[in-house]
Amino acid sequence: MTALSDLFRDKVLLLDGGMGTQIFARKPTVEDYGGAALEGCVDLLTERRPQWIREIHAAYFRAGADAVETNTFGANPLVLSEFDLADKAHALNVQAASLAKEVARSFDRPRFVLGSVGPGTKLITLGHVSYATLLASYRVQMDGLLEGGVDAILIETCQDLGQIKVAVRAAKEAMAAAKRRVPLWVQATVETTGTLLVGSEIGAVLASVEPLGLDVLGLNCATGPDEMHAHLQTLAEASPFAISCLPNAGLPLNVDGQVAYPLGPELFAGKVLHAASEFGLAVVGGCCGTTPDHIRALAPGVERLSPPRRAPRLERSAASLYQAVTLRQEPAPLIVGERTNANGSKKFRDLLAAEDWDGLLGIAREQQREGAHLLDLCVAYVGRDEVRDMDELLGRLVTQVTLPLMIDSTEVAVIERALQRAPGKGVVNSINFEDGEGKARRILELCRTYGAAVVALTIDERGMAKTREEKLAVARRLHALAVGEYGLDPGDLILDPLTFTLGSGDEAFRDSAVETLEALRLIKAELPGVRTLLGVSNVSFGLNPAARHVLNALMLYHAVQHGLDLAIFNSSKVIPVAKIDPEDRRIVEDLIYDRRSEGYDPLKALLARFSDRKAAAAEDRRADLPVLARLHRDILDGDKQAILADADEALRDHDPLRLINEVLLGAMKVVGERFGAGEMQLPFVLESAEAMKAAIHRIEPHLPRESNYQKGRLLLATVKGDVHDIGKNLVDIILSNNGFEVRNLGIKQPIEAILKALAEWPADAIGLSGLLVKSTVVMKENLHFMEEQGHRIPVILGGAALTRDYVEGDCRRAYPGPVFYAEDAFEGLRQMQSIVAGESLAVAPAPAGSAEEGIRILKRGGTAVPLTDAGQSSWVRHEAAPPEPPFWGVQELADAPVELFEHLDAFALIRNRWGFSQGSLDEAAFAAILREKAEPQLAAWKARLAAEPLLVPRARYGYFRVRAAGDDLRILDPADPDRVQAVIPFPRQAAGRRLCIADFFRADRTDVLALQLVTLGQAAADHAKRLYEAHAYADYFAFHGLATELTEAYAERLHARIRRELGIAAKDLAGRALFAQGYQGSRYSFGYPACPDLHGNAAILDLLKGDALGVTLTETSQMDPEYTTSALVAWHPQARYFSA
Amino acid sequence: MSVKVHFLLEDLLVEAPEGTPLQRIADAAGADITFGCRTGSCGTCRVRIAEGLSHCSASGAEERDFLAGLGAPPDQRLACQVVVQGDVAIEYLGL
Repeated sequence: MTALSDLFRDKVLLLDGGMGTQIFARKPTVEDYGGAALEGCVDLLTERRPQWIREIHAAYFRAGADAVETNTFGANPLVLSEFDLADKAHALNVQAASLAKEVARSFDRPRFVLGSVGPGTKLITLGHVSYATLLASYRVQMDGLLEGGVDAILIETCQDLGQIKVAVRAAKEAMAAAKRRVPLWVQATVETTGTLLVGSEIGAVLASVEPLGLDVLGLNCATGPDEMHAHLQTLAEASPFAISCLPNAGLPLNVDGQVAYPLGPELFAGKVLHAASEFGLAVVGGCCGTTPDHIRALAPGVERLSPPRRAPRLERSAASLYQAVTLRQEPAPLIVGERTNANGSKKFRDLLAAEDWDGLLGIAREQQREGAHLLDLCVAYVGRDEVRDMDELLGRLVTQVTLPLMIDSTEVAVIERALQRAPGKGVVNSINFEDGEGKARRILELCRTYGAAVVALTIDERGMAKTREEKLAVARRLHALAVGEYGLDPGDLILDPLTFTLGSGDEAFRDSAVETLEALRLIKAELPGVRTLLGVSNVSFGLNPAARHVLNALMLYHAVQHGLDLAIFNSSKVIPVAKIDPEDRRIVEDLIYDRRSEGYDPLKALLARFSDRKAAAAEDRRADLPVLARLHRDILDGDKQAILADADEALRDHDPLRLINEVLLGAMKVVGERFGAGEMQLPFVLESAEAMKAAIHRIEPHLPRESNYQKGRLLLATVKGDVHDIGKNLVDIILSNNGFEVRNLGIKQPIEAILKALAEWPADAIGLSGLLVKSTVVMKENLHFMEEQGHRIPVILGGAALTRDYVEGDCRRAYPGPVFYAEDAFEGLRQMQSIVAGESLAVAPAPAGSAEEGIRILKRGGTAVPLTDAGQSSWVRHEAAPPEPPFWGVQELADAPVELFEHLDAFALIRNRWGFSQGSLDEAAFAAILREKAEPQLAAWKARLAAEPLLVPRARYGYFRVRAAGDDLRILDPADPDRVQAVIPFPRQAAGRRLCIADFFRADRTDVLALQLVTLGQAAADHAKRLYEAHAYADYFAFHGLATELTEAYAERLHARIRRELGIAAKDLAGRALFAQGYQGSRYSFGYPACPDLHGNAAILDLLKGDALGVTLTETSQMDPEYTTSALVAWHPQARYFSA
Repeated sequence: MSVKVHFLLEDLLVEAPEGTPLQRIADAAGADITFGCRTGSCGTCRVRIAEGLSHCSASGAEERDFLAGLGAPPDQRLACQVVVQGDVAIEYLGL
């Protein structure tokens, strides 16, 4: 039996003419349709009047047609549901197909049946119907047609590019399900306007459906043969598929209120035959207004035609709804607009957050005007539903912007939704092998299903490929998967060999531009047909805008020379290479090609040369905003560079006092509100404060001499005996950048010194800070002292160990002036504001005992655990023999800063020290802040600490023979074990287990005690001080937090070593559990609940000779320098934290 | 409404107003629970809610993350993060 596809090889195929014309010629009545409600349901006539359909098919076959189309143009559930007949769809298709096949079989030579699939009544591109609904509807029809035995599927009279892609997918899925592959035909309908109804050019149709793989792509309906020439020409030149042409019998005319078609059979036949030979048509036939006579007129001429010989050449393209854009541009490169990207453009992100869809479209159109060929579209925004945003935006964008899209998302679901929502041919950005092939495969499956091109990054399981060989190897592997396995055309594979910044000076990336350029050349040579892409501007991250523009332009220029096809680039910032100063160019090219020599480093030369140069092009669209709005935004963004220029500009037309009071302080107020609402993280607040500081510094010289924008004065100190200053400094930062004058007296301030400062510098309030529990007592004593001295000045108290109850109860009772508790710096700010406003000065102490109100002990069962004869808790059992240490006495260690990171509790650092807390953010938003801000910040510090001697970690530790005696631990002289070298007393719990640290050591024999002392050195403390004094608030805060946690990390590192050396490390747990005592024994530091008395530090320092590390004690037994910690280590399995 | 809190380790039974933070009850009654940071990040005050888990305020994301990091079963909480809303029995675990 001859298959339809065989016939193609031998002749031009003749199809039938109009079906509707023939049916309406029979003048169907209401009775024929089966009722008034069903009138007009032509598809139903297959069931109601099968004989008519048989006669029409037979008439066309007798006229010479090789194939006829089934009477199923509207036979899908969506269309039939308008007649309440959706359920009949499948049956009608089966019936229509079998009926036509039955007629075909009655003829002697091979005759075929094409399953007709019409466009339906709803346009998916305009949002009339969802992708899923349309797909399901077509699937029913395709299943029925295949079941009925059609020889091909003909998706015809297509008016909507989106609909074509859905119908093609339905046909393919139906064939796969039926395990029967038949030829797939698509015919578009180009209106007299030159496009499909929704505006698509035929080139866009071709580009979009080509990756899906068809057998025939042609035109039918709307016009006569002549009007189709230009579009047939396009297909003839480029389409890899056979071309069909089924015109109407000319453009329809209105004759006396009736539709009439001007072309009679002979005239029509002549025109169609002409087009057939002119454009190499493989299939001809007729549409509206054509009859069996038209086909009969065509038949002899079609018999004489030879099968077409064409040599189409398809330039691979992306396509929007409207137009195709070739991926190879002359001149290269194709520019991918980068500003429709929530990750790359702040403006885009803000508009997205505000759901200003028109504003977002505006950015897209702006890039189109500026010469972008493709738009990189990314709507990933933490805390927002990316699928929904993509859907909302594309619903508007696809009809309003004519550029094709690069769909930029890491989420497979988002990519899929975008591919469904955007007709045309998109480019998916991107795949890589970072996490193996799984995700790349899922995305490639989507590319295959929806017919998309794909960007593939040379990243594999080992990370980003850095050398040319690695880049090529990964590119080959990407090619093998995408082209070899998923059948993508190589021209739809866009390889990105990655660009790294040359701006960091990082030795590892000095040759990265050369490697990228060479990789471009290798990829183009070794993998023919593929396209290449670079995010060019990455090359200059970290440099100033002026230097960036020149470096970007030259990198782009050289990349194109090496075979770059596409560049993600801000098209408004392309500067012509010819306009670059020759000396600039020489230095930048030396940088790109890593041409260094003795005494010459092009990076240093570039930095020097561009240090004070301004970028020519405007940065971003910021310039569009009024200057006051920019200033406001600079504060919120913490942009301390931009704010200087904006402040200068604002000073020209605005009163400096007003700038500070209204604009800058207004913006800081918003910062405070956002922090308070949990929307803004502390590190960002500090960046805002830095910007504020910079702006004030700029504006202050312009203030009239006598004017004072400051609202009040705060005298600030950490109390006597306490060395902690971070909390106090945060208060200083926040208040001094919110319009208050702050005098920061520093740490360890006796009340006498504070009052002396007050006498010299009258303030509106005193702020006392302290971290230690002891400091809470000192604060109360200070208040008593002030009361005795007759002071009534308001006092604000803050610190980790304070509670609101304590301040508002005990402290208020100690002092007749107003006393406030500030939980954080912003509460301190609010207190100051009410103090200077004269509000809430009359605050009464909270009634005594209110905290405990209502709490009553009903029963205290069981007596306390008895003590042993040796005076130890009998809860502790001494079963195992003490371990043997590798040595007795003390050893010193020095470690590299990076080694401490192995033991860093990043969770504690980021959440507690750096203050990244979820607040009011949802989980996704918070996760993104961690990923995009906190983790990169940690990585950057790690790199910096490896390179710069900001930390000098040193440690001393030792093993001592000890023996417990009641509440004391007696430390024996290593040289003379009979001599007690030191005695350390510990407190004992009064009830319950009655534990004391001494209990974890043997009283009946000697035991082993390990002592340890670690410090990050004076260098670390000095660096923190320098940052604070330079008003680098965010860095100061980050460094302080990191150094504090690294001190802990060092203590844990040394403790781990001790556990190993004592042979008890086998019980160490993995992961974060290790930071929560996930090991045998315990490490106790003085000042904590089991041993709160800091005086114990003296014994440790003495035994370990801490002065060898430069560690000394303050008068309150705290260790100096900062970032030093000591501990005693108990090996006993029952030793845990407890509270004495 | 008052609720009963039973500290199992020392068989200490305390009555407190509904909605009182567990740490305040433990402090006032002198229960053997060691608190460290009192902000839900050091884990020193880890307890097992032996009875009345549903009478404890819901845990926040950070407490959940912390306990998940320890691989703690669902009946464990950080005492400093719990507000008591009904009768509970508490077993102190510590770190």
